[in-house]
Amino acid sequence: MKYTKKDLGSFGLHLINTDKFKTITVKVIFHTPIQKEEITKRAVLTDVLLQSTEKYNSKRNLTIKAEDLYSAEIGTSNQRIGNYIFTSFILQTLTDDHTEKGNVEQSIEFLSEIIFHPDVEEKSFQKDKMDLAKYNTVVALSSIKEDATHYSIMRMAEAYDKTSPVSYRMTGYLEDLEKITENNLYETYQNMINNDYVDIFVVGDFDNKEMTSLIKKYFKFKKIKKEKESYYLNAKKPRKRRLFAKETIDNTQSKLAIACPISKMTDYERNYSLVLANLIFGGGSDSKLFKDVREKNSLCYTVYSLINKLDNLLVITAGIDKNNFNKTVDLITKNLNEMKKGHFTNEDIEIAKEFYHTSLEAIEENENAIISEYLFEEILGLDSIKERSEKMNKVKKQDITKVCKKITMDTVFLLEGVKNEDN
Amino acid sequence: MKTINLSGLDMNYYVETLDNGLEIYMLPYDNKKNYFISFATRFGSEVIEFKDEKQISHKLPLGIAHFLEHKMFEQESGEDPFTFFSKSGTGCNASTSFDNTQYICYGNKKFEENLEYLISFVNDPYYTDSNVNKEKGIITEEINMYEDMPDIKLEMELRKNIFHKHPRRIDIAGTVEEINKITKEDLYNCYSNFYIPNNMFILIVGNFNKEKAVEIIKKKLDYKKKEQLPEIEQVEEKDEIKKSKTEITSNIEIPKLAYGLKIPTKNLKLDSVELDLYLNILTTILFGASSEFRERVRNEKIVNGIHTEWENLEDFRVFYLMASTKEPDKLEEEIKDEISNLSITESSFNRIKKVWIANEIRMIDNIDATVNNLYDDILKYGSIISDRIDKIKSMKLKILEELIKKIDFKNTSIVQMLPK
Repeated sequence: MKYTKKDLGSFGLHLINTDKFKTITVKVIFHTPIQKEEITKRAVLTDVLLQSTEKYNSKRNLTIKAEDLYSAEIGTSNQRIGNYIFTSFILQTLTDDHTEKGNVEQSIEFLSEIIFHPDVEEKSFQKDKMDLAKYNTVVALSSIKEDATHYSIMRMAEAYDKTSPVSYRMTGYLEDLEKITENNLYETYQNMINNDYVDIFVVGDFDNKEMTSLIKKYFKFKKIKKEKESYYLNAKKPRKRRLFAKETIDNTQSKLAIACPISKMTDYERNYSLVLANLIFGGGSDSKLFKDVREKNSLCYTVYSLINKLDNLLVITAGIDKNNFNKTVDLITKNLNEMKKGHFTNEDIEIAKEFYHTSLEAIEENENAIISEYLFEEILGLDSIKERSEKMNKVKKQDITKVCKKITMDTVFLLEGVKNEDN
Repeated sequence: MKTINLSGLDMNYYVETLDNGLEIYMLPYDNKKNYFISFATRFGSEVIEFKDEKQISHKLPLGIAHFLEHKMFEQESGEDPFTFFSKSGTGCNASTSFDNTQYICYGNKKFEENLEYLISFVNDPYYTDSNVNKEKGIITEEINMYEDMPDIKLEMELRKNIFHKHPRRIDIAGTVEEINKITKEDLYNCYSNFYIPNNMFILIVGNFNKEKAVEIIKKKLDYKKKEQLPEIEQVEEKDEIKKSKTEITSNIEIPKLAYGLKIPTKNLKLDSVELDLYLNILTTILFGASSEFRERVRNEKIVNGIHTEWENLEDFRVFYLMASTKEPDKLEEEIKDEISNLSITESSFNRIKKVWIANEIRMIDNIDATVNNLYDDILKYGSIISDRIDKIKSMKLKILEELIKKIDFKNTSIVQMLPK
């Protein structure tokens, strides 16, 4: 695997050569500081751009075109990363060797058609196409409770700090949806194309010179944008007393979600000690939480923790019977305290390190993981894979307990299942 | 060891069968670091009654195959298999389906040790009253979790409409009441009857040495004897669907619709692989991403995303279509309309063939997807299909048209799930 970065003025081009895939993957990433009221617009915008283009006037025609390019796949996503929103367009297509001459170029042209030639008339999107995209957003918003775990984490984040981007719902908001018109949606589009930072990643077996000229030919951005805000959120000071919040849901199972802010982390802790701490505490099926809450006490089927290092947050989630709420919270508290006191073994640390090394080695097997790797090296100044592997080996037990001491259980949210109960 | 070429993909897979009947399927890659191992038995939730070699009949508590899968992770030594695999950063898991249970591990280190350990832990059951009881709380929460997922409830409801007696109308995990009846004796009984070499297979894909793999498997399993396969009680399932329509309510805001088509296969005269290809291309043309149907229902704002799936049974194929829709009645009408006015053009037929061939080539890059496909092949057809691309290439519209004439497209059932 070979990585080359080229600064093309208005965007960064990242070329990753690998012979592991029969496809070429191209990801165009727009990023800009996140604003709550922009989220819904972005959700509708990416949907509308995949409904039709100047050349292909319906979703069916767009899909048929992709199928003709030997089943090229095109998708979009909107993601919050710390203080930023990332709007991505991703193309995956078979190389010419496995199809016919020109398939890669035609696929890239197709991706650029979707991004640069939307189905627009007089500075407005087509109303019928926009309404379709709005309808899809309404369905997504109305189905939000169907994934109870996801919903409980969302509500927990809102209870934790409703002013922070941590609480932003990436599905969007109904009140913002109503304000979207075919005209202001076009302004959102123009704003994204003209003002967002842009990075383009290409992964696969190709010649760098040829690929650079292909990308230059089909992707032209006018402005050069350089100044950048930090990606990291400010760490919120934990409450003096734990906040308990609750909401009922017409389900059998209850979902527990806990926000644990981490104060004053150093970069080293963020990228090393915390990663191991989480793996030992609740990250895997060999973790303390899994062994104690599930295996020893039979309280749940799922229990795990995850970290969001840009948000300075550790989140714990479990699916439980509501009658076991106190018992579960007590056990989780006990296990976190044990982490702070160093009640875990050197073997636990070695296992966590091994797990981390395996995941580093797996990066090159997956196009999306490769892109995320170089993206984060670029925007967060992350150490390279090799450096991370070496530095992780040097993490000591006291480093892990030290970062654990900075973790506080702040907001405990219960989505209480009250099925078959009288209200 | 037999070597078989995967045509059109420039790769070989290898098959070895031990004297005791255990089958080993291997697809080595030379440009990958990671590997994936599955150790599987053809024992799943649909076995609800069987006769053992002494012709003694055993009626099983529902959900026992899944319960057994959980309990396989219990070791007499007290060592947790998750911990063992974690030591080399290796992932480990298991899953139970209607007709199989598999134990898997995947990673990029210590292939040989991990293969050996995977076989060992599935080879050594250790059930006690207390470890069986302990699991009941965990599985109860698992059942409750699925119970709260509207899409799963919808599918189960449709299964109840489609099947009269077939155990595929019952949830894989069983019910809270039934799993509470399970004893360690039940588990040992199922284990000794269904976890026998001639009912099991091992599938390995990725970065590994095939000779070494066979050597390890032989070392661990060659001593086992071929046993008489238990006689699974077969229920007589009627050709017709059980119920044509049901309405249920659930904790949702947008209604959902599920549509099922039940096809008895005995008079269709196509071999199993071809039959599946033709049925699949039919529903892809009718309901797939580039279908006219999708364009129509999208533009009428009836539905956006649709999930479709075919299920293989011994004497049936069943098609499932599920969607969230604000207008379930209208969607129901549209589906019935589409089915009763079938028209397949040569151009869409050929376009889907091209897409499928491209997808086969792309899929082989992805170890996880490849594993799933090979695993499905082994279960459905008894071996890996090595000439799928050739089979797709030789598909003819005329054969599809002949097949369509033999299918009763009225043998369908609908479930509407409405907000409470």
